Amino acid sequence: MNNSTSLITIFIGMVLINNMVLTKFLGLCPFFGVSKKLGNAISMGVAVTLVMLLASLATAIIHNYILIPFNVEFMNIIIYILVIASLVQIVEITIRRTNILLYNALGIYLPLITTNCAVLGITLINASAGFSILQSIVSAIGAGVGFTLVLIIMSGIRERLEIAEIPKSMRGLPVAFITAAFLALAFMGFGGLL
Amino acid sequence: MLWTILILTAVGLVCAVLITLTYRFLPKEPESLKKAEAINANLPGMNCGACGYPGCFAYAQALSADKKVFFSNTCATVLQDEDMLAGLESALDMKVDKSALNKKAVVACSGNCGNVGSYTGVGSCKTASKLLSGFKRCPYSCLGLGDCIKVCPSNAIRINIRTKVAVVDPDRCTGCGLCVAECPRNIISLVPADTKVVFLCSYKDIRDIPGREKCESGCIGCRKCYKACPNEAIIWNRETAMPEFDQDKCTGCGECIAACPHGKIMLLSDVAKKIKE
Repeated sequence: MNNSTSLITIFIGMVLINNMVLTKFLGLCPFFGVSKKLGNAISMGVAVTLVMLLASLATAIIHNYILIPFNVEFMNIIIYILVIASLVQIVEITIRRTNILLYNALGIYLPLITTNCAVLGITLINASAGFSILQSIVSAIGAGVGFTLVLIIMSGIRERLEIAEIPKSMRGLPVAFITAAFLALAFMGFGGLL
Repeated sequence: MLWTILILTAVGLVCAVLITLTYRFLPKEPESLKKAEAINANLPGMNCGACGYPGCFAYAQALSADKKVFFSNTCATVLQDEDMLAGLESALDMKVDKSALNKKAVVACSGNCGNVGSYTGVGSCKTASKLLSGFKRCPYSCLGLGDCIKVCPSNAIRINIRTKVAVVDPDRCTGCGLCVAECPRNIISLVPADTKVVFLCSYKDIRDIPGREKCESGCIGCRKCYKACPNEAIIWNRETAMPEFDQDKCTGCGECIAACPHGKIMLLSDVAKKIKE
């Protein structure tokens, strides 16, 4: 398998087969919290993808050039948390100072992402798979795209559910959980894709 | 062991330095944001969204653009907390009259539309409204079965014996809004406590001779109130053919109340009298 196909494999694998939300069950909090409206879902998806990309880049560098040479891979969780939290802080300050429109669009989502398990999850998955820096970046973009995709699908369904006639006890979150279960089953169908 | 400590410390240090550098050397944020930040410091910061904005900072930004947002989209948490309110007052450079933000519920119906038939079913407005959209001739009328009375925590609602219409006593009403959500006809609304006159009809359909074919005392769209108002506080809504009241201009002089041939307009302070008329 040459290098370019393996990158495509990683990307598709992250978007569909090992989807962050529906297969790995990471990032469920924003999945239910921010999937009520399509606009919010897209903003959240873009913010998560951006942070995943930056976090994976930073942690892949640290993993490959600090943790492995010094043989301290067991410290990856604590180091990654530290790095991701600082990174999100820096990104927030930068956006706030330079582009107020972008800040208004992403502003409230960025602090929410700081401690998001999907972001930490993708960096740890990259580390345990032993990905190079380029592979980490591709897998992070894939995970972000997959997260955005699921969020958009879910928000589309939930906008329909809002106007559907559902028994009162099932309205809101209960029916969203059931929808999520069906979505997860559907995404399992991608399992044999590659 | 030593390496672990050193690496963790080093990574932490590098992160701290990077954050400090970004904070120091990036261009300063625009002036409007600084003001919003000062306001944000006096908000609860729990991003509940009850004010209608996505989070406290968005609310602070709206407040920094226009103070009046506080009155249209009041933060209930700030209103409950004396210190927070005082802080916000100084940040916004204005005085908030807490009593002005109090709300009172008003049932916008004065009854008299007559019944289609006699109803002997379950004594609940919700049940009755499901059956042929209620037993009253007007689909926007109070059914008078008292669903609102059951939810009212301050015992402020009574049914008028003659008109069979629920009436909220403004002196007892705390403006909690439970009855507003409970009413299946959606004819109860919250109005500011300093509202002077209230209009007691909820008819929403467009019609040729408004009200008359449905209700003995409905608004007939005669515009007498509109013509009688000396302060131009009544705006005539052509869509609904009904008056709307500009509470800022209204002085409560009572000209419109005297002019209305069907007694649809009433001083808020007089509403309580309707309980025993």
